[in-house]
Amino acid sequence: MSAAAEDTKVVGGVELRRDPAREPCFTVVQTDAEMQEWPDMSDISRRERLHRHMNNETGAMEIAARCLLDFPDAPWDLRMSLARQVADESRHARLLYDRLRELDGYKGEFPIANFEWGVTLMLEDLPGRLAVQNRTFEAGLIDVLGTLRNRWREAGDDVTADLLEGILADEITHVRFANRWIKRITEQNPRTLLQVAMAVRFLGRVNEQLAPKPGDANAVGIQWTEERRLPPAVNVEDRRAAEFTDEEISEVLRQAGFRSILPVGALGN
Amino acid sequence: MGLTIRQKADRIGTFRFVSVYLMETLARWVPTTPELEAKVLFGRHLWDFAQHADGLGRRTGELRAAAHYSPRPADAYMTVLDTLAGASGTVERVAGFYDGFLPDLEARYRRYLTETDALNDEPSVRIIERILHDLPRLHADRSAFAAQRPDLAAQDAAWPTRIGALSKGAGNMVIDRPLARTAAAV
Repeated sequence: MSAAAEDTKVVGGVELRRDPAREPCFTVVQTDAEMQEWPDMSDISRRERLHRHMNNETGAMEIAARCLLDFPDAPWDLRMSLARQVADESRHARLLYDRLRELDGYKGEFPIANFEWGVTLMLEDLPGRLAVQNRTFEAGLIDVLGTLRNRWREAGDDVTADLLEGILADEITHVRFANRWIKRITEQNPRTLLQVAMAVRFLGRVNEQLAPKPGDANAVGIQWTEERRLPPAVNVEDRRAAEFTDEEISEVLRQAGFRSILPVGALGN
Repeated sequence: MGLTIRQKADRIGTFRFVSVYLMETLARWVPTTPELEAKVLFGRHLWDFAQHADGLGRRTGELRAAAHYSPRPADAYMTVLDTLAGASGTVERVAGFYDGFLPDLEARYRRYLTETDALNDEPSVRIIERILHDLPRLHADRSAFAAQRPDLAAQDAAWPTRIGALSKGAGNMVIDRPLARTAAAV
């Protein structure tokens, strides 16, 4: 982790990559405590969810774009996958922005944070970035969307639920190409595993340092309980479609307290 | 008389170099341009240039060159590309790319179609026709962007005009390798 000092910022004692360009209408914050987030599906919560997701998709677009730029000697088929990912994330950001406006929201209505960019761009090798951005953050989004689409539908908003279904399908392909490529490259060069392991360890350290603690509250006074700090329920079916192994899925399930969106017994245990 | 195999490979490969360069230029602009609408515009079109590079690169492998052979263009044309890529403001980036640069690139593709034998070089022709089919959509997206963000309209046309003039003035962008027979004689 050795980005030039002028390209970095320090948050809670952790060195992260400085934020990408944002319009002045946005309030860019650095911690969960500064975010406004509501656990229910009230109107303001819905707009904030779309607003946050819109910025996260923008960040994913920017990370994939930087990978294209920073690794010109990567295999061409991988660069094609990254370019496709940029385009997909661009569409997602646009779709979410359009939906936000349909619900009378607007850019800059809520604070935003660029955590994924800050972490991933500290990594100086492509296997590490793919392990963190695609295999961890995007795979986490597979889990989140697996549950979230149903919450929007239960709340009577089929339009947003359908939109999220489309995004979920795309995210599976982004995780899958990273899984395939990391598998291929580690078979060719087992030392790549070290880069992957170091990247994941770096993310773990950052999370440990910056994740909200039980009892902490966000900017609108909502407290972080033990339950809210748990990872989302694991979307086993779509993780399989993204070509995680059963062993990897079991490990994620263990971390999530064995909560999945599959019926009990579907994993055969 | 049409182009030799080597001339075709050099031209198609140079087009590939340009496509990759444009893909990378847009990739550089995505995180460094503040406006969401501009990021989305660049991000979606980056994939178009990747696909153009892919098709062109596969074709060079059929023209007795390496797959994805991408010779660097002539210096005058590199100056155009570097000038375009150096644009730092959103207005300059959008206007320079879509209004200044792309029309000349389109003209260069069309010129290739007039220079080559349409039947003998049909695979190249099909690839370029697909590229030419994409370009109006890119311009339509750029027009939609202008409607979304009228505040980012170019206040004067000097910059895109300069990029357009530089592009046209760059002349032949291809550096032809020596003819095979000549090379063998040496």
